[in-house]
Amino acid sequence: MEPSLTDVRMVVEEVWTSFLGAEDPLLPMAPGTLDVGWSAAVTVSGEWQGAVSVELPRSMAEEIARRMLGLDDEVDSVGDDDVADAVGELVNMIGGNVKSLMPGPSALSLPVVAAGRVARASDVIEACRLDASWAGAPLLVSVHVRHPEKG
Amino acid sequence: MYALIIDDSRAMRSILRRIVTDLGFETLQAGDGQEALDHLEAGRIPTLCLIDWNMPVMDGYTFITRVRANAAWRDITLMMVTTESEHGQIVRALAAGAHEYVIKPFTPDAIADKLEMLGLVAKPVPA
Amino acid sequence: MTITQTSFAFVSDLVRRETAMLYDPGKEYLVEARLLPLAREAGCPDVDSYVAKLVTNPAERDKVLDALTINETSWFRDNAPYQAFTDMMLPPLLAARSHVRHLSIWSAACSSGQEAYSLAMLLDQHLPSGWTAQILASDVSSTMLDRVRAGRYSQVEMNRGMPATSLVKYFSRTGSEWEVCDDLKKMVRTQSLNLSTPFPLLPTFDIVFLRNVLIYFDLDTKRDILRRVHRVVASDGFLLLGTSETTLDLDEHWGREAHGRVQVHRPTTTAAEQWQPTAMTGA
Repeated sequence: MEPSLTDVRMVVEEVWTSFLGAEDPLLPMAPGTLDVGWSAAVTVSGEWQGAVSVELPRSMAEEIARRMLGLDDEVDSVGDDDVADAVGELVNMIGGNVKSLMPGPSALSLPVVAAGRVARASDVIEACRLDASWAGAPLLVSVHVRHPEKG
Repeated sequence: MYALIIDDSRAMRSILRRIVTDLGFETLQAGDGQEALDHLEAGRIPTLCLIDWNMPVMDGYTFITRVRANAAWRDITLMMVTTESEHGQIVRALAAGAHEYVIKPFTPDAIADKLEMLGLVAKPVPA
Repeated sequence: MTITQTSFAFVSDLVRRETAMLYDPGKEYLVEARLLPLAREAGCPDVDSYVAKLVTNPAERDKVLDALTINETSWFRDNAPYQAFTDMMLPPLLAARSHVRHLSIWSAACSSGQEAYSLAMLLDQHLPSGWTAQILASDVSSTMLDRVRAGRYSQVEMNRGMPATSLVKYFSRTGSEWEVCDDLKKMVRTQSLNLSTPFPLLPTFDIVFLRNVLIYFDLDTKRDILRRVHRVVASDGFLLLGTSETTLDLDEHWGREAHGRVQVHRPTTTAAEQWQPTAMTGA
Protein backbone atom coordinates (compact mmCIF):
# COMPACT_ATOMS: atom_id res chain seq x y z
CA MET A 1 0.00 0.00 0.00
CA GLU A 2 1.23 3.44 -0.85
CA PRO A 3 -0.36 6.89 -0.82
CA SER A 4 -1.15 8.58 -4.14
CA LEU A 5 0.96 11.52 -5.24
CA THR A 6 -2.21 13.61 -5.59
CA ASP A 7 -3.14 13.06 -1.95
CA VAL A 8 0.40 13.70 -0.73
CA ARG A 9 0.54 16.91 -2.74
CA MET A 10 -2.77 18.05 -1.25
CA VAL A 11 -1.50 17.38 2.29
CA VAL A 12 1.74 19.27 1.69
CA GLU A 13 -0.05 22.20 0.03
CA GLU A 14 -2.46 22.51 2.94
CA VAL A 15 0.41 22.67 5.41
CA TRP A 16 2.15 25.28 3.27
CA THR A 17 -0.86 27.54 2.70
CA SER A 18 -1.93 27.33 6.36
CA PHE A 19 1.37 28.27 7.96
CA LEU A 20 3.63 29.78 5.33
CA GLY A 21 1.24 32.14 3.58
CA ALA A 22 -1.08 31.64 0.62
CA GLU A 23 0.69 34.35 -1.39
CA ASP A 24 3.72 32.13 -2.01
CA PRO A 25 2.22 28.92 -3.35
CA LEU A 26 4.09 25.67 -3.62
CA LEU A 27 4.71 24.95 -7.31
CA PRO A 28 5.36 21.59 -8.96
CA MET A 29 8.86 21.15 -10.30
CA ALA A 30 10.91 18.60 -12.18
CA PRO A 31 13.26 16.55 -9.98
CA GLY A 32 16.65 18.19 -9.85
CA THR A 33 19.63 18.61 -7.61
CA LEU A 34 18.83 19.87 -4.17
CA ASP A 35 21.49 21.21 -1.86
CA VAL A 36 20.05 19.75 1.35
CA GLY A 37 20.64 22.06 4.30
CA TRP A 38 18.08 20.55 6.65
CA SER A 39 15.96 17.42 6.63
CA ALA A 40 13.47 15.75 8.92
CA ALA A 41 11.62 12.46 9.04
CA VAL A 42 8.87 10.71 10.95
CA THR A 43 8.14 7.00 10.87
CA VAL A 44 4.73 5.36 10.94
CA SER A 45 4.32 1.92 12.47
CA GLY A 46 1.23 -0.24 12.77
CA GLU A 47 -1.18 -1.31 10.05
CA TRP A 48 0.91 0.73 7.66
CA GLN A 49 4.69 0.88 7.94
CA GLY A 50 6.51 3.76 6.38
CA ALA A 51 8.43 6.97 6.71
CA VAL A 52 7.81 10.51 5.54
CA SER A 53 10.69 12.90 5.05
CA VAL A 54 11.25 16.50 4.02
CA GLU A 55 14.50 17.86 2.56
CA LEU A 56 15.08 21.59 2.28
CA PRO A 57 17.86 24.00 1.35
CA ARG A 58 19.27 25.87 4.34
CA SER A 59 17.83 29.30 3.47
CA MET A 60 14.33 27.88 2.99
CA ALA A 61 14.47 26.04 6.33
CA GLU A 62 15.47 29.31 8.00
CA GLU A 63 12.65 31.22 6.30
CA ILE A 64 10.13 28.56 7.42
CA ALA A 65 11.38 28.89 11.00
CA ARG A 66 11.08 32.68 10.82
CA ARG A 67 7.51 32.54 9.59
CA MET A 68 6.35 29.87 12.01
CA LEU A 69 7.99 31.56 14.98
CA GLY A 70 6.76 34.97 13.85
CA LEU A 71 10.27 36.42 13.83
CA ASP A 72 11.09 39.75 12.28
CA ASP A 73 13.46 39.52 9.29
CA GLU A 74 15.27 42.69 10.22
CA VAL A 75 15.69 42.22 13.94
CA ASP A 76 15.68 38.62 15.06
CA SER A 77 18.28 36.07 14.16
CA VAL A 78 17.18 32.50 13.68
CA GLY A 79 19.18 29.84 15.49
CA ASP A 80 19.76 26.20 14.58
CA ASP A 81 17.45 25.07 17.38
CA ASP A 82 14.67 27.26 15.93
CA VAL A 83 15.16 25.73 12.50
CA ALA A 84 15.25 22.18 13.87
CA ASP A 85 12.05 22.81 15.82
CA ALA A 86 10.16 24.28 12.85
CA VAL A 87 11.30 21.69 10.32
CA GLY A 88 10.42 18.96 12.81
CA GLU A 89 6.91 20.32 13.22
CA LEU A 90 6.55 20.59 9.45
CA VAL A 91 7.33 16.90 8.93
CA ASN A 92 5.13 16.00 11.91
CA MET A 93 2.14 17.68 10.25
CA ILE A 94 2.80 16.17 6.84
CA GLY A 95 3.54 12.74 8.33
CA GLY A 96 0.43 12.69 10.50
CA ASN A 97 -1.78 13.48 7.54
CA VAL A 98 -0.04 10.96 5.29
CA LYS A 99 -0.63 8.35 8.01
CA SER A 100 -4.36 9.14 7.82
CA LEU A 101 -4.34 8.42 4.07
CA MET A 102 -3.40 4.83 4.83
CA PRO A 103 -5.29 2.04 6.61
CA GLY A 104 -4.92 2.39 10.41
CA PRO A 105 -4.46 2.25 13.26
CA SER A 106 -0.83 3.23 13.21
CA ALA A 107 1.42 5.28 15.46
CA LEU A 108 3.46 8.30 14.47
CA SER A 109 7.00 8.73 15.81
CA LEU A 110 8.41 11.99 17.07
CA PRO A 111 10.37 13.74 14.31
CA VAL A 112 14.06 13.20 13.73
CA VAL A 113 15.76 16.33 12.39
CA ALA A 114 19.24 16.74 10.94
CA ALA A 115 21.40 19.49 9.51
CA GLY A 116 22.08 17.70 6.23
CA ARG A 117 20.35 14.48 5.21
CA VAL A 118 18.74 12.20 7.81
CA ALA A 119 19.86 8.61 7.63
CA ARG A 120 17.24 6.29 6.22
CA ALA A 121 16.67 2.68 7.23
CA SER A 122 18.04 0.21 4.68
CA ASP A 123 14.84 -1.84 4.45
CA VAL A 124 12.66 0.88 2.90
CA ILE A 125 11.88 1.77 -0.69
CA GLU A 126 10.64 5.07 -2.08
CA ALA A 127 6.88 4.93 -2.72
CA CYS A 128 6.15 8.51 -3.64
CA ARG A 129 8.12 11.72 -4.10
CA LEU A 130 6.94 15.28 -4.45
CA ASP A 131 9.41 17.65 -6.04
CA ALA A 132 8.28 21.21 -5.60
CA SER A 133 9.56 24.73 -5.43
CA TRP A 134 8.76 27.46 -2.97
CA ALA A 135 9.80 31.08 -3.31
CA GLY A 136 12.09 30.03 -6.14
CA ALA A 137 13.97 27.23 -4.37
CA PRO A 138 13.47 23.46 -4.62
CA LEU A 139 12.33 21.09 -1.88
CA LEU A 140 11.56 17.40 -1.67
CA VAL A 141 8.90 15.49 0.28
CA SER A 142 9.16 11.73 0.02
CA VAL A 143 7.27 8.75 1.37
CA HIS A 144 9.08 5.46 1.92
CA VAL A 145 7.49 2.12 2.72
CA ARG A 146 9.03 -0.87 4.39
CA HIS A 147 10.15 -3.38 1.80
CA PRO A 148 7.70 -6.30 1.98
CA GLU A 149 10.41 -9.01 1.85
CA LYS A 150 12.58 -7.34 4.42
CA GLY A 151 9.74 -6.12 6.66
CA MET B 1 -8.73 34.06 30.96
CA TYR B 2 -5.76 31.72 30.46
CA ALA B 3 -5.04 29.26 27.67
CA LEU B 4 -2.43 26.57 28.31
CA ILE B 5 -0.70 25.65 25.05
CA ILE B 6 0.77 22.15 25.15
CA ASP B 7 2.98 21.22 22.20
CA ASP B 8 6.54 19.97 21.91
CA SER B 9 7.23 22.38 19.05
CA ARG B 10 8.06 25.95 20.02
CA ALA B 11 7.14 27.04 16.50
CA MET B 12 3.65 25.58 16.89
CA ARG B 13 3.26 27.05 20.39
CA SER B 14 4.23 30.40 18.92
CA ILE B 15 1.59 30.11 16.15
CA LEU B 16 -1.11 29.14 18.66
CA ARG B 17 -0.04 31.83 21.14
CA ARG B 18 -0.47 34.53 18.51
CA ILE B 19 -3.92 33.22 17.56
CA VAL B 20 -5.36 32.90 21.07
CA THR B 21 -3.76 36.14 22.24
CA ASP B 22 -5.65 37.91 19.44
CA LEU B 23 -8.79 36.23 20.76
CA GLY B 24 -8.27 37.71 24.20
CA PHE B 25 -6.44 34.98 26.12
CA GLU B 26 -3.35 35.20 28.25
CA THR B 27 -1.17 32.17 27.70
CA LEU B 28 0.83 29.54 29.55
CA GLN B 29 2.99 27.03 27.71
CA ALA B 30 4.14 23.48 28.19
CA GLY B 31 6.37 21.28 26.03
CA ASP B 32 4.71 18.01 27.02
CA GLY B 33 1.82 16.58 29.04
CA GLN B 34 3.82 16.30 32.26
CA GLU B 35 4.88 19.96 32.16
CA ALA B 36 1.25 20.84 31.61
CA LEU B 37 0.18 18.76 34.63
CA ASP B 38 2.85 20.56 36.66
CA HIS B 39 1.13 23.86 35.84
CA LEU B 40 -2.23 22.49 36.99
CA GLU B 41 -0.81 20.97 40.17
CA ALA B 42 0.83 24.29 40.99
CA GLY B 43 -2.61 25.86 40.87
CA ARG B 44 -2.28 27.53 37.49
CA ILE B 45 -5.67 26.41 36.21
CA PRO B 46 -6.45 27.63 32.70
CA THR B 47 -9.86 28.07 31.10
CA LEU B 48 -8.66 26.24 28.01
CA CYS B 49 -5.98 23.71 27.09
CA LEU B 50 -4.79 23.34 23.48
CA ILE B 51 -3.22 19.90 23.35
CA ASP B 52 -0.92 18.22 20.85
CA TRP B 53 -1.11 14.42 20.72
CA ASN B 54 2.42 13.21 19.99
CA MET B 55 4.88 14.59 22.52
CA PRO B 56 7.81 13.22 24.51
CA VAL B 57 7.46 12.30 28.23
CA MET B 58 3.64 12.39 28.32
CA ASP B 59 1.43 12.51 25.24
CA GLY B 60 -1.70 14.58 24.90
CA TYR B 61 -4.08 11.63 25.14
CA THR B 62 -2.62 10.61 28.50
CA PHE B 63 -2.78 14.22 29.66
CA ILE B 64 -6.52 14.31 28.90
CA THR B 65 -7.20 11.13 30.84
CA ARG B 66 -5.21 12.56 33.81
CA VAL B 67 -7.14 15.84 33.76
CA ARG B 68 -10.46 14.04 33.51
CA ALA B 69 -9.55 11.84 36.49
CA ASN B 70 -9.39 14.90 38.75
CA ALA B 71 -12.75 16.45 39.63
CA ALA B 72 -11.08 19.73 40.60
CA TRP B 73 -10.14 20.27 36.93
CA ARG B 74 -13.49 19.45 35.37
CA ASP B 75 -14.20 23.03 34.26
CA ILE B 76 -11.17 23.15 31.99
CA THR B 77 -12.07 23.04 28.30
CA LEU B 78 -9.84 20.57 26.47
CA MET B 79 -9.18 20.95 22.77
CA MET B 80 -6.84 18.69 20.85
CA VAL B 81 -4.75 20.45 18.19
CA THR B 82 -2.87 17.70 16.44
CA THR B 83 -1.83 16.15 13.18
CA GLU B 84 -3.40 12.86 14.34
CA SER B 85 -6.35 12.67 11.97
CA GLU B 86 -7.41 9.04 11.82
CA HIS B 87 -11.13 8.71 12.41
CA GLY B 88 -10.55 6.25 15.26
CA GLN B 89 -8.09 8.54 17.04
CA ILE B 90 -10.58 11.42 17.06
CA VAL B 91 -13.24 9.12 18.53
CA ARG B 92 -10.77 7.99 21.22
CA ALA B 93 -9.86 11.55 22.21
CA LEU B 94 -13.51 12.60 22.45
CA ALA B 95 -14.35 9.51 24.51
CA ALA B 96 -11.47 10.32 26.87
CA GLY B 97 -12.92 13.76 27.50
CA ALA B 98 -11.70 16.17 24.84
CA HIS B 99 -14.36 18.77 24.04
CA GLU B 100 -13.11 19.63 20.59
CA TYR B 101 -10.57 18.55 18.04
CA VAL B 102 -8.65 20.63 15.50
CA ILE B 103 -6.52 18.87 12.92
CA LYS B 104 -3.20 20.38 11.88
CA PRO B 105 -2.78 22.18 9.55
CA PHE B 106 -5.36 24.79 10.54
CA THR B 107 -6.01 28.47 9.90
CA PRO B 108 -6.52 31.05 12.67
CA ASP B 109 -10.21 31.15 11.71
CA ALA B 110 -10.56 27.45 12.48
CA ILE B 111 -9.37 27.99 16.06
CA ALA B 112 -11.63 31.04 16.43
CA ASP B 113 -14.65 29.10 15.07
CA LYS B 114 -14.14 26.28 17.55
CA LEU B 115 -13.63 28.56 20.54
CA GLU B 116 -16.75 30.44 19.57
CA MET B 117 -18.65 27.16 19.37
CA LEU B 118 -17.38 26.30 22.83
CA GLY B 119 -18.62 29.65 24.12
CA LEU B 120 -15.13 30.86 25.04
CA VAL B 121 -14.96 33.62 22.46
CA ALA B 122 -17.78 36.04 21.75
CA LYS B 123 -18.83 36.48 18.15
CA PRO B 124 -17.98 40.00 17.04
CA VAL B 125 -21.16 42.04 16.69
CA PRO B 126 -21.90 42.44 12.98
CA ALA B 127 -21.51 45.96 11.68
CA MET C 1 1.01 44.94 -7.39
CA THR C 2 -2.57 46.09 -7.92
CA ILE C 3 -5.08 45.24 -10.57
CA THR C 4 -5.59 47.95 -13.24
CA GLN C 5 -8.96 49.68 -13.63
CA THR C 6 -9.31 48.17 -17.13
CA SER C 7 -8.86 44.63 -15.81
CA PHE C 8 -11.16 45.25 -12.87
CA ALA C 9 -13.86 46.69 -15.17
CA PHE C 10 -13.57 43.68 -17.49
CA VAL C 11 -13.95 41.22 -14.62
CA SER C 12 -16.81 43.04 -12.89
CA ASP C 13 -18.67 43.32 -16.24
CA LEU C 14 -18.18 39.61 -16.84
CA VAL C 15 -19.50 38.67 -13.41
CA ARG C 16 -22.40 41.10 -13.66
CA ARG C 17 -23.41 39.84 -17.10
CA GLU C 18 -23.27 36.16 -16.15
CA THR C 19 -24.60 36.24 -12.61
CA ALA C 20 -25.96 39.77 -11.96
CA MET C 21 -23.60 40.01 -8.99
CA LEU C 22 -22.00 43.39 -8.46
CA TYR C 23 -18.35 44.04 -7.81
CA ASP C 24 -18.28 47.79 -7.31
CA PRO C 25 -15.13 49.93 -7.41
CA GLY C 26 -13.48 49.49 -4.04
CA LYS C 27 -13.62 45.68 -4.34
CA GLU C 28 -10.40 45.56 -6.38
CA TYR C 29 -8.52 43.94 -3.51
CA LEU C 30 -11.12 41.17 -3.33
CA VAL C 31 -11.02 40.48 -7.06
CA GLU C 32 -7.26 40.45 -6.97
CA ALA C 33 -7.08 38.11 -3.98
CA ARG C 34 -9.49 35.65 -5.59
CA LEU C 35 -7.83 35.75 -9.02
CA LEU C 36 -4.18 35.63 -7.97
CA PRO C 37 -4.18 31.87 -7.30
CA LEU C 38 -5.80 31.28 -10.71
CA ALA C 39 -3.22 33.52 -12.37
CA ARG C 40 -0.37 31.59 -10.73
CA GLU C 41 -1.93 28.30 -11.73
CA ALA C 42 -2.19 29.48 -15.35
CA GLY C 43 1.45 30.53 -15.32
CA CYS C 44 0.77 34.27 -15.49
CA PRO C 45 3.09 36.64 -13.62
CA ASP C 46 0.24 38.86 -12.41
CA VAL C 47 -3.52 39.26 -12.39
CA ASP C 48 -3.58 41.74 -15.29
CA SER C 49 -1.89 39.38 -17.72
CA TYR C 50 -4.28 36.66 -16.56
CA VAL C 51 -7.30 38.89 -17.19
CA ALA C 52 -5.97 39.59 -20.71
CA LYS C 53 -6.14 35.83 -21.32
CA LEU C 54 -9.80 35.65 -20.35
CA VAL C 55 -10.92 37.39 -23.54
CA THR C 56 -10.09 34.32 -25.59
CA ASN C 57 -10.36 31.56 -23.01
CA PRO C 58 -13.87 30.50 -21.95
CA ALA C 59 -12.56 27.76 -19.62
CA GLU C 60 -10.60 30.31 -17.60
CA ARG C 61 -13.64 32.62 -17.63
CA ASP C 62 -15.66 29.86 -15.95
CA LYS C 63 -12.98 29.51 -13.29
CA VAL C 64 -13.12 33.24 -12.65
CA LEU C 65 -16.90 33.12 -12.26
CA ASP C 66 -16.55 30.26 -9.81
CA ALA C 67 -13.87 32.06 -7.82
CA LEU C 68 -15.87 35.28 -7.61
CA THR C 69 -19.26 33.79 -6.84
CA ILE C 70 -18.01 31.66 -3.97
CA ASN C 71 -19.59 32.42 -0.68
CA GLU C 72 -16.72 31.89 1.62
CA THR C 73 -18.27 29.28 3.75
CA SER C 74 -17.81 27.26 6.86
CA TRP C 75 -19.84 24.65 8.70
CA PHE C 76 -22.63 26.10 10.83
CA ARG C 77 -21.48 29.52 9.67
CA ASP C 78 -22.24 32.16 12.32
CA ASN C 79 -23.83 29.47 14.49
CA ALA C 80 -26.83 31.56 15.65
CA PRO C 81 -28.90 30.99 12.46
CA TYR C 82 -28.61 27.27 13.06
CA GLN C 83 -29.78 27.69 16.64
CA ALA C 84 -32.75 29.60 15.27
CA PHE C 85 -33.32 26.71 12.85
CA THR C 86 -33.57 24.09 15.60
CA ASP C 87 -35.11 26.20 18.39
CA MET C 88 -37.44 28.53 16.54
CA MET C 89 -38.30 27.12 13.12
CA LEU C 90 -38.42 23.37 13.61
CA PRO C 91 -40.89 23.13 16.55
CA PRO C 92 -43.87 24.88 14.88
CA LEU C 93 -43.17 23.13 11.58
CA LEU C 94 -43.03 19.72 13.26
CA ALA C 95 -46.46 20.47 14.73
CA ALA C 96 -47.92 21.86 11.50
CA ARG C 97 -46.59 19.13 9.22
CA SER C 98 -47.48 16.14 11.40
CA HIS C 99 -49.90 14.88 8.74
CA VAL C 100 -47.26 14.75 5.98
CA ARG C 101 -44.21 14.24 8.19
CA HIS C 102 -41.98 15.88 5.60
CA LEU C 103 -40.02 19.12 5.50
CA SER C 104 -38.75 20.89 2.41
CA ILE C 105 -35.81 23.25 2.73
CA TRP C 106 -33.88 25.41 0.24
CA SER C 107 -30.24 26.33 0.63
CA ALA C 108 -30.01 29.03 -2.04
CA ALA C 109 -26.57 29.97 -3.38
CA CYS C 110 -25.25 26.90 -1.62
CA SER C 111 -21.64 27.28 -2.77
CA SER C 112 -19.73 24.11 -1.86
CA GLY C 113 -22.59 22.79 0.27
CA GLN C 114 -21.53 23.36 3.88
CA GLU C 115 -24.83 25.08 4.68
CA ALA C 116 -26.94 22.33 3.09
CA TYR C 117 -25.06 19.58 4.91
CA SER C 118 -25.03 21.51 8.20
CA LEU C 119 -28.83 21.64 7.95
CA ALA C 120 -28.92 17.96 7.02
CA MET C 121 -26.96 17.12 10.20
CA LEU C 122 -29.38 19.11 12.34
CA LEU C 123 -32.36 17.42 10.68
CA ASP C 124 -30.78 14.03 11.30
CA GLN C 125 -30.53 14.94 14.98
CA HIS C 126 -33.91 16.65 15.42
CA LEU C 127 -36.43 15.05 13.07
CA PRO C 128 -38.66 12.51 14.85
CA SER C 129 -38.45 9.01 13.43
CA GLY C 130 -40.66 8.40 10.44
CA TRP C 131 -40.10 11.93 9.13
CA THR C 132 -38.27 12.78 5.93
CA ALA C 133 -36.70 15.96 4.66
CA GLN C 134 -35.40 17.23 1.38
CA ILE C 135 -32.87 20.03 1.07
CA LEU C 136 -32.55 21.71 -2.30
CA ALA C 137 -29.01 23.04 -2.74
CA SER C 138 -28.88 25.47 -5.64
CA ASP C 139 -26.08 27.53 -7.09
CA VAL C 140 -25.21 29.31 -10.32
CA SER C 141 -21.91 27.42 -10.54
CA SER C 142 -21.88 23.90 -11.91
CA THR C 143 -18.45 23.34 -10.36
CA MET C 144 -19.93 24.07 -6.95
CA LEU C 145 -22.87 21.72 -7.55
CA ASP C 146 -20.43 18.96 -8.51
CA ARG C 147 -18.68 19.54 -5.20
CA VAL C 148 -21.96 19.35 -3.27
CA ARG C 149 -22.84 16.05 -4.93
CA ALA C 150 -19.37 14.63 -4.23
CA GLY C 151 -19.68 15.77 -0.61
CA ARG C 152 -15.90 15.78 -0.18
CA TYR C 153 -14.05 18.41 1.81
CA SER C 154 -10.41 19.07 2.55
CA GLN C 155 -8.89 18.92 5.99
CA VAL C 156 -8.73 22.70 6.15
CA GLU C 157 -12.41 23.00 5.21
CA MET C 158 -13.39 20.41 7.82
CA ASN C 159 -11.67 22.40 10.55
CA ARG C 160 -13.93 25.39 9.90
CA GLY C 161 -16.72 25.18 12.46
CA MET C 162 -17.43 21.45 12.30
CA PRO C 163 -18.00 20.04 15.79
CA ALA C 164 -15.68 17.06 16.30
CA THR C 165 -18.61 14.88 17.35
CA SER C 166 -20.34 15.55 14.03
CA LEU C 167 -17.12 15.01 12.10
CA VAL C 168 -16.75 11.48 13.42
CA LYS C 169 -20.48 10.75 13.17
CA TYR C 170 -21.17 11.90 9.61
CA PHE C 171 -17.84 11.79 7.76
CA SER C 172 -15.24 9.25 6.75
CA ARG C 173 -11.74 9.68 5.36
CA THR C 174 -11.32 9.36 1.61
CA GLY C 175 -7.69 9.97 0.74
CA SER C 176 -6.70 13.41 1.93
CA GLU C 177 -10.34 14.48 2.16
CA TRP C 178 -13.40 13.72 4.27
CA GLU C 179 -16.59 12.51 2.62
CA VAL C 180 -20.10 13.05 3.95
CA CYS C 181 -22.11 9.88 4.63
CA ASP C 182 -24.77 8.59 2.21
CA ASP C 183 -27.68 9.28 4.58
CA LEU C 184 -26.96 13.00 4.45
CA LYS C 185 -26.21 12.96 0.73
CA LYS C 186 -29.64 11.40 0.10
CA MET C 187 -31.28 14.32 1.87
CA VAL C 188 -29.63 16.90 -0.41
CA ARG C 189 -30.70 17.48 -4.02
CA THR C 190 -28.76 19.87 -6.25
CA GLN C 191 -30.08 22.18 -8.93
CA SER C 192 -28.44 24.78 -11.13
CA LEU C 193 -30.21 28.04 -10.53
CA ASN C 194 -29.45 31.69 -11.23
CA LEU C 195 -31.24 33.76 -8.60
CA SER C 196 -31.35 36.84 -10.80
CA THR C 197 -33.48 35.22 -13.52
CA PRO C 198 -37.01 33.68 -13.24
CA PHE C 199 -36.93 30.48 -11.18
CA PRO C 200 -37.63 27.09 -12.72
CA LEU C 201 -40.56 25.15 -11.26
CA LEU C 202 -39.82 24.76 -7.55
CA PRO C 203 -41.65 23.02 -4.72
CA THR C 204 -43.04 24.99 -1.79
CA PHE C 205 -40.40 25.34 0.90
CA ASP C 206 -40.92 25.35 4.63
CA ILE C 207 -37.58 27.07 5.21
CA VAL C 208 -35.34 29.06 2.86
CA PHE C 209 -31.75 29.97 3.72
CA LEU C 210 -30.71 32.82 1.42
CA ARG C 211 -27.64 34.07 3.23
CA ASN C 212 -24.87 36.45 2.24
CA VAL C 213 -25.82 36.53 -1.42
CA LEU C 214 -28.29 39.43 -1.80
CA ILE C 215 -25.49 41.85 -0.93
CA TYR C 216 -24.03 41.16 -4.36
CA PHE C 217 -27.14 42.34 -6.26
CA ASP C 218 -28.47 45.82 -6.99
CA LEU C 219 -31.60 47.00 -5.22
CA ASP C 220 -34.07 46.18 -8.01
CA THR C 221 -32.68 42.68 -8.43
CA LYS C 222 -32.80 42.16 -4.65
CA ARG C 223 -36.47 43.13 -4.54
CA ASP C 224 -37.25 40.93 -7.53
CA ILE C 225 -35.50 37.93 -5.94
CA LEU C 226 -37.35 38.41 -2.65
CA ARG C 227 -40.67 38.69 -4.49
CA ARG C 228 -40.03 35.42 -6.30
CA VAL C 229 -38.80 33.71 -3.12
CA HIS C 230 -42.04 34.80 -1.43
CA ARG C 231 -44.02 32.71 -3.90
CA VAL C 232 -42.18 29.51 -3.00
CA VAL C 233 -42.20 29.87 0.81
CA ALA C 234 -45.08 28.20 2.64
CA SER C 235 -47.44 30.68 4.30
CA ASP C 236 -46.24 29.46 7.72
CA GLY C 237 -42.63 29.08 6.53
CA PHE C 238 -39.42 30.95 7.25
CA LEU C 239 -36.83 32.92 5.32
CA LEU C 240 -33.39 33.52 6.74
CA LEU C 241 -31.05 36.13 5.26
CA GLY C 242 -27.41 36.91 6.11
CA THR C 243 -26.62 38.89 9.25
CA SER C 244 -25.85 42.08 7.36
CA GLU C 245 -28.87 41.66 5.09
CA THR C 246 -31.63 41.64 7.69
CA THR C 247 -31.91 45.40 7.76
CA LEU C 248 -32.83 45.35 4.07
CA ASP C 249 -35.86 47.29 3.26
CA LEU C 250 -38.21 44.34 2.79
CA ASP C 251 -41.68 45.08 1.52
CA GLU C 252 -44.95 44.53 3.40
CA HIS C 253 -45.09 40.89 2.28
CA TRP C 254 -42.56 39.91 4.89
CA GLY C 255 -42.85 40.10 8.65
CA ARG C 256 -39.89 39.93 10.96
CA GLU C 257 -39.34 37.92 14.13
CA ALA C 258 -36.23 37.99 16.27
CA HIS C 259 -34.58 34.95 17.78
CA GLY C 260 -31.75 36.27 19.90
CA ARG C 261 -29.71 38.35 17.50
CA VAL C 262 -31.02 36.51 14.46
CA GLN C 263 -33.77 38.10 12.41
CA VAL C 264 -36.12 35.64 10.72
CA HIS C 265 -38.57 36.66 8.02
CA ARG C 266 -42.04 35.17 7.57
CA PRO C 267 -44.55 35.75 4.81
CA THR C 268 -47.42 37.97 5.87
CA THR C 269 -50.80 37.27 4.40
CA THR C 270 -52.03 40.32 2.57
CA ALA C 271 -55.65 40.95 1.69
CA ALA C 272 -55.06 39.96 -1.91
CA GLU C 273 -53.46 36.69 -0.95
CA GLN C 274 -56.28 35.62 1.33
CA TRP C 275 -58.27 34.77 -1.79
CA GLN C 276 -55.68 32.26 -2.86
CA PRO C 277 -55.33 28.80 -1.38
CA THR C 278 -52.37 28.65 0.95
CA ALA C 279 -49.41 26.67 -0.24
CA MET C 280 -49.39 24.21 2.65
CA THR C 281 -48.05 20.89 1.47
CA GLY C 282 -50.53 18.08 1.86
CA ALA C 283 -53.36 20.41 2.89
